[in-house]
Amino acid sequence: MAGIESDLLQGTLDVLILKALALQELHGMGISRRIGQMTNGAFDVKPGSLFPALHRMEEAGWLTSNWGLAETNRRAKFYALTRTGRKQLQTEIERWARISFAMAAALGIGQEAL
Amino acid sequence: MISRLRALWNNAFRRKQLDRDLDEELEAYLKLVEAEKLREGMDPEEAHAYARRQTGGTDQVIQNVRDVRTGVWIDRLMQDVQYGIRTLANNPTFSLVSVGTLALGIGANTAMFSLLDQVVLRLLPVRHPEQLVIVKETGNHYGNSFGPNTMSWPLFEDLRSNNQVFSEMFCRFPTHVTIGYSDQTVQISAELVSSTYFQTLGVEAVLGRTIGHDDDSVPDSKPVAVLSYSFWQSYFNGDHNIIGRTIALNGQAMTVIGVAQPGFDGVEMGEPAKVFVPIMMKTEMTPHSDGLKDRRRRLSWVTTYGRLKPGVSTEQAQASLQPLLHSILEMEVQQPEFTRSATAADREPFLRNRIELLPGSDNDLREYMRRPLWVLLALTAAVLLLACANLANLLLARATTREKEFAVRLAIGAGRARIVRQLLVESLLLSGAGAVVGLMLAYAADRILLRIYLPADAAAEFVVSPIPDERMLAFTFGVMLLTSLVFALLPAMRASRTEITLALKDRSGVASTGGMSLRRLLVSIQMALSLLLLVGAGLFVRTLRNLENVGPGFPTDHLLTFTTAPTLSGYSFAETKSYYDRLKVDLETMPGVTSIGFSTMPILRGYAWQNAIVGKDFEGTPIEQQPVLSQIDPNYFATLGIPIIAGRAFTAQDVAPTDYAVVNESFAREYFPGRNPLGQRFGLVSDSQSVTPKTEVIGVIPDRKYRDLRETPPPQAYFPYLAVSNVRGMTVYVRTQGDPRQFGDALRERMHQFDPHVPAVDLQTVNEQIGFSLRTERLVAGLSAVFGGFAMMLAVIGLYGVMAYTVLRRTREIGIRIALGALRSNVIAMIMREVLVLIGSGLAVGVALALVLVNLIRSQLYGLNARDPLTFISSAIVLALAAGLAGFIPALRASGVDPTTALRQE
Repeated sequence: MAGIESDLLQGTLDVLILKALALQELHGMGISRRIGQMTNGAFDVKPGSLFPALHRMEEAGWLTSNWGLAETNRRAKFYALTRTGRKQLQTEIERWARISFAMAAALGIGQEAL
Repeated sequence: MISRLRALWNNAFRRKQLDRDLDEELEAYLKLVEAEKLREGMDPEEAHAYARRQTGGTDQVIQNVRDVRTGVWIDRLMQDVQYGIRTLANNPTFSLVSVGTLALGIGANTAMFSLLDQVVLRLLPVRHPEQLVIVKETGNHYGNSFGPNTMSWPLFEDLRSNNQVFSEMFCRFPTHVTIGYSDQTVQISAELVSSTYFQTLGVEAVLGRTIGHDDDSVPDSKPVAVLSYSFWQSYFNGDHNIIGRTIALNGQAMTVIGVAQPGFDGVEMGEPAKVFVPIMMKTEMTPHSDGLKDRRRRLSWVTTYGRLKPGVSTEQAQASLQPLLHSILEMEVQQPEFTRSATAADREPFLRNRIELLPGSDNDLREYMRRPLWVLLALTAAVLLLACANLANLLLARATTREKEFAVRLAIGAGRARIVRQLLVESLLLSGAGAVVGLMLAYAADRILLRIYLPADAAAEFVVSPIPDERMLAFTFGVMLLTSLVFALLPAMRASRTEITLALKDRSGVASTGGMSLRRLLVSIQMALSLLLLVGAGLFVRTLRNLENVGPGFPTDHLLTFTTAPTLSGYSFAETKSYYDRLKVDLETMPGVTSIGFSTMPILRGYAWQNAIVGKDFEGTPIEQQPVLSQIDPNYFATLGIPIIAGRAFTAQDVAPTDYAVVNESFAREYFPGRNPLGQRFGLVSDSQSVTPKTEVIGVIPDRKYRDLRETPPPQAYFPYLAVSNVRGMTVYVRTQGDPRQFGDALRERMHQFDPHVPAVDLQTVNEQIGFSLRTERLVAGLSAVFGGFAMMLAVIGLYGVMAYTVLRRTREIGIRIALGALRSNVIAMIMREVLVLIGSGLAVGVALALVLVNLIRSQLYGLNARDPLTFISSAIVLALAAGLAGFIPALRASGVDPTTALRQE
């Protein structure tokens, strides 16, 4: 499936990154791959969008980062959620639930499936 | 929030580290993708290429990350600043001219603002100065008065105990006292203050205590004094043991009880008080004058201040005080003192007197300087506006030549906002540099101005300082921002509208038409403004010339003057008279002295003693009808070179009280019209006794100025000082054979030897004194001339720039014209027509503006009409000639265009 350009859905990328990091800390490529898995490959996040988002979220205090060793014994920068980040994730999930529910109702997506 | 701040800090100061980390992070990403593909079985080379493709160009990613960093705008700004500095450095002539122009403009404004702020705008350095008001009784006082802002002691007491609007009131009386100092005695300014003075002002003692209620309840009881901080520093070297010590003021031993807080020099700027004495000591401090004890209501002498209760406005307070004043006035008109001082017809206007509340920081100097300083600030503002117009012009021209640069930047993706910002940053750099240099210029200018403005010995005392303070810095900063907006916004807006495709085509031969009409408009405005300034300068310079030429009405060369006040050194009236008898003999024997004269009132110092007079068929009581009086010695008129045109001068035999008077022509015309004034009689109105007209006119002198050079000579009457019992001090006039300036030191030395306890004060030549009295006129004339010249220069440069550019732009067209047979003179005429249109339109607007605006300076002028045709016409001619000449240079260059070269361009 062709990757959806992440800037098509404003704010989607942030919540996906937060969600990707909810279970464990990951490096950049790990986040990219995890998002791919979570969305069944619908989102293929390119570094041109991923890294600006990571740095922006780190400066906002949602993520922290530290250097660690990746699978191939290569030094890589790992990101983890902060407490603020976790709170932010919760808010975002609630917001998305409301939006997707409303959108689904509006577009009649649930009925069509029936 | 904290993480943001940390990010800002890191981005600002650990950028290298951040960038290295980012590189490594991306590198890791690449390698991880590559490793993944290798694991999936891709061939190594292909995997590497795939990873590269995936990241889509590392540089782009890095740029994207940088763009989201906190404080990225600082980054961009720094880039703009760096770029701006580079651009300006590449064009040093432009940059230097701009910074120089701005520095002069901003510097002049800052210098004038600093003077205006310190002299006119600033409030007193006391607690809540905005609550402080001067309580003034408007209208005629009828009686003796020390000035328009004064009132009688009983009136102050009435107001103080009966008002509802002031939390407290105080009154003061400024005077001079002598203070003994080793073997010499000097005269200093003192302030006699009521017990509530320090408490109401909220001024504390830095040492000891201030004057309180116990010091000021019984007359003559408490010989105590508080020193001003600066006087304590300069005179007593800041001696901490001064408290409790005794100093001699007017020969009276006074105990120092405190030193006032630093920066407080009394409530009147320009006359800083050195010592503060309880007003109950008035008899000792102003010998032989008892306005306090005899409680006369017709003697108006204290200046009264009140502190408004919180929440009470000046208007409310003023309204609430009127009924109180009115009831007091009703009582006053019943008193015999009033009926002796005023006629029945004066009763009604007197009862209409009102209380007026003035800002507490008002004073004479402020009143006197307000208009000239505002006028000067307006002139400097006009100069700055002109400078801005010139810069806008330069920037417009530059914007046109930089069109290609902008087009390139737009083409590679810079936003138009970014270009506008870039240009604004460049302008701010220019005006910032201009402001810094301008501040230095302002410091130098203020120092020079203060030196010119104040006599050498007063400069040290005067509280105005050239050192910039926060108000001055804020002003300069505001002016800087405003200027860069004014001169940069228009060119920047234009530049951002650059058409990429048009600009990128090579049009090097044909400069763009961009902004020409705007630039012409700017030049016309400059012409108008500089005409305005030239007219102003012309009017002020001619006013100064007129005042210098009009003179006081007697020969002032070879004339020295000084003042002595023996009663301030403990002399009785009899001793004072004998002092002057001896002084006359002593000075007349001094080599080089031709003649000596005394007068109780100095001339041309702004003072006058006025009194109502009564005659057989006249009675003039309102102040504007009162003649100016003085008591003089028999040699006075001869010494000053004033001829007696009828009758005789006084002799040493004229010693009977108020029997004889010498009057001037105006007096004779005013009171004895159509009659021979000799032998006529008049009397001085007094509140203590009724008067019969018994003083006989024995001589007439021609009119001469009395208070200052601007006045029309008032009616004057002179009495012999020998006939007066209570002479306190006199001004001495000395006519010398040689240059009086060489004589000053010898005279001072002689006076010291004659009596070391009586200092000679204000010793100077009469010409110096007149020169000093014209200092404001000289300052305004000099500065306005400088500003006018500078403005003309700016306007002429502006016109030259526009015309030179026009010729450059039309080179091809002119070439064609010449090739087709146009004469050189035709080309010159064609260009000069444009020049004349620019000059003509500017002058027309300028003259129209000037005709209206001169109304604002009418009161500053002397001896000429504000719409003086000579000044208007000569200013216009000078400006037109200079501008015409500046326009002729490009015209001449146009006529020299070689058609073949011109046509081969492009």
